[in-house]
Amino acid sequence: MALIEVQNLSVAYGAPARPVLTKISLSIEEGEFVCLLGQTGCGKSTMLKMILGAEQPSSGRVLIDGVQHNQPDRTRGYVPQKYSLFPDKTVLHNITFGPEVIEFNCFSRFTPSYWRRRRDIREEAMRYIDRIGLHQRDARKYPHQLSGGMQQRVAIAQALMTRPRILLMDEAFSALDPGTRKDMQRLIRQLWRDTGVTVVFVTHNTEEAVYLGSRIIVLAKENPDAGAEVAMDLRVPEPCHEHQIPVLVGHLERASGSAREPEAVLATA
Amino acid sequence: MSFGFELVHTRPNRTTSLLLSWILFCVGIGLYFYTSQKRHHQNPEDRVMPTVTQMFHGMTNASTNPAEDDDALPDNASLRQRLFASMLWKDTVATSRRFIYSILLLIPAVILGLHMGLFPYVGVFFLRFVLFFDKIVALSLLPILFIVFGIDELSKIMLIVIGVTPTIILDTFNLTKGVPNEQIVKAFTLGANDFDVAYRVVMRQIAPRVLNSIRLNLKAVMLFLFAGEMIASTDGLAYRIALLRRHMGMDVIIPYVLWVALLLFLVDLTMRIANRKLHPWFQEA
Repeated sequence: MALIEVQNLSVAYGAPARPVLTKISLSIEEGEFVCLLGQTGCGKSTMLKMILGAEQPSSGRVLIDGVQHNQPDRTRGYVPQKYSLFPDKTVLHNITFGPEVIEFNCFSRFTPSYWRRRRDIREEAMRYIDRIGLHQRDARKYPHQLSGGMQQRVAIAQALMTRPRILLMDEAFSALDPGTRKDMQRLIRQLWRDTGVTVVFVTHNTEEAVYLGSRIIVLAKENPDAGAEVAMDLRVPEPCHEHQIPVLVGHLERASGSAREPEAVLATA
Repeated sequence: MSFGFELVHTRPNRTTSLLLSWILFCVGIGLYFYTSQKRHHQNPEDRVMPTVTQMFHGMTNASTNPAEDDDALPDNASLRQRLFASMLWKDTVATSRRFIYSILLLIPAVILGLHMGLFPYVGVFFLRFVLFFDKIVALSLLPILFIVFGIDELSKIMLIVIGVTPTIILDTFNLTKGVPNEQIVKAFTLGANDFDVAYRVVMRQIAPRVLNSIRLNLKAVMLFLFAGEMIASTDGLAYRIALLRRHMGMDVIIPYVLWVALLLFLVDLTMRIANRKLHPWFQEA
């Protein structure tokens, strides 16, 4: 059984129902790095929200490890494009927030066991801070004192602290400048390899998708009034060398522009 | 009309700003004393515009002697005893007590607003009613309150609660709604439950804005408090001002008004400083 099973998922918004997604079926295996690729407004973020459980589909369902989840919970970590950190907490508190709320409710925070456990959680958080490339002294800073890239680094560490099996990222690097973006892509690739977490990464940037993903799912609409469908579902050959990326991107963009023939792209890849 | 430069882009330097900002104060004070002097020349018995000396005497009297309707002090009372039994001190304490109660009663309002904004069921249940309640002119309820609760403390505090609470509830509600959904979803994915989200994520984020909102509503609180005191009370700063009006005690009324303004300013300043110290992360948008 696949880790994420999307069955016949349809989503429509508005009073005269306007379809966004039409009958999408997918299965994502544990350990994959899936990039959801598509143009702006094609419903890829909606797709992510369905997996996240933040919104409910009109029909169909999403199973996580065989179970349907109707609201966001700790099986799926989440890194949005904006507002990804709690502005009122320091970097360290942002990272330790997950383990703290899981293990201690509002009242057990006053017990000695909390203080003992908190030291361990903090040590782990500090290790993460090292790993994502921040200085130890950044731990006491507030999010607004960090650059956009640093904030996203912290957000990834924050999501990974609770050891989710799935990490959902919604245009997580789209607001960053190209240089920072490249670093972030390397970081997330590295973390993906090290932790074995399953990543679903939404992006509108073909190059990013090819660089990051072990699998690329392209969502597209047949016509403007229809809901999006899976136009392409392909695996990126591994190892994918950096010099191959422009070629792959070219193939992919040509293919998604004209006939939707996944096999053709796969063959050239 | 053009001066050859844009007024928007000409900024006064420090000294000029300082001078400019105090001009109106000086003009106001100067004008008052000039008129006051003139009136006293024409009529030494003038009670409308007391001189500084008269106001000073009035206030010294108010801050060292009990009110006329209060028990008199023995002649050998110490200065400390005199101060704490004085009219000014007792009035200030009475008004402050009511003020503090009303501010404390705003805490449930904040919590209600938070829950309304966060939990749709609570929101649907209360929102329409609070919106309706908000439209009631609180002062028009004053007679009803006096009839129902009597003319003691409760009715005055209820007036403040009815007048200010809906605003605070709705403000908190809107602030809660304004918290980006990403934050709430993120908290859930990190393993938080409803109450963690309410009190450890949303409440902490909106706290500085809620405090600001309460600060802006301090005037309304004081307005209702003074209305209640002036109409039905036996002590308090507003009661004294209303009472002294009957024998034109301007020598005490004017210092009292300034004293109230000073107190309110100090409360506001304290809240502003506390807000900055408690929420160092807060960025005024």
